Amino acid sequence: VAKTSLTSPPWPEVKLPDPVEEAKYHAEVVQKVNGLIAAGQYGRLFAVVHFASKQWKITSEDLIMMDNVLEAECGDRIRMEKVLLVGADDFTLIGRPLLGKDLVRVEATVIEKTESWPKVNMRFWRRHNYQRKKIIANPQTVLRINTIEIYPCLS
Amino acid sequence: RYVRQLQRLQLLFSPTAADARGARQFVEEAAQDFARQHPDVVLYVSPHKGPGPAPVLRAEYLNGTVREELIASKTSEEIVQLATKMANQSGLDIIRIRKPFHTDNPSIQGQWHPLTNKPSILTVQGPRLQPQ
Repeated sequence: VAKTSLTSPPWPEVKLPDPVEEAKYHAEVVQKVNGLIAAGQYGRLFAVVHFASKQWKITSEDLIMMDNVLEAECGDRIRMEKVLLVGADDFTLIGRPLLGKDLVRVEATVIEKTESWPKVNMRFWRRHNYQRKKIIANPQTVLRINTIEIYPCLS
Repeated sequence: RYVRQLQRLQLLFSPTAADARGARQFVEEAAQDFARQHPDVVLYVSPHKGPGPAPVLRAEYLNGTVREELIASKTSEEIVQLATKMANQSGLDIIRIRKPFHTDNPSIQGQWHPLTNKPSILTVQGPRLQPQ
């Protein structure tokens, strides 16, 4: 069969390595990462957390503001589940799509519950003598992420 | 490790005015419960005699901002809600904030610049040098 410009795909063909070797390599990498975590040789940890229908990239001691009302009082500690990604300087742990709860622990405190700045909601139809003006102030919550911890229980 | 940002709440009203009825009821019934529920907030009640200024709930915060809210013609439940709301706030002024997050260390693995994840100049081969 003659070779035309559409016989092979335009991207370079990639040869996958041997699955047995691949499994050995994986086990070695996992062991190394486990060792690093157990020894505590990571600096700052960052995490990608799904919270309030949004995904945030958070580190320790940073502020996050939600446009809703949480049922926790000011000063309560909150543990966030639904962690998608955890990373440090040398390694990252990617979840598919979530990481296990016995692996990561993200803690946050509710700092304040205020309202947003007064937004104007106005509806106006021209030549119909119709205008309505309403001032909206959404309730907001401010959280501060206290700690992100990981435990060496990979597999 | 949580410090409430409200320093003190001052309730200024006059006992004879007609629109301070909610404030008077709040002081009679709910002020003690409120003070017990928020033990780290100081509540001052200062009635001034005679027809003076309108009844006002003034909140002072730890960074010095003073916020006053009118409580004229409000029921005592509404005043309780207002007071809890101001107790939960911090002293930052309520303007439009541009970003809903704030970090001191935004990048951990190094900030991305267009030269990350690219092979170095020494090993780059031109497109014509590869034999087809």
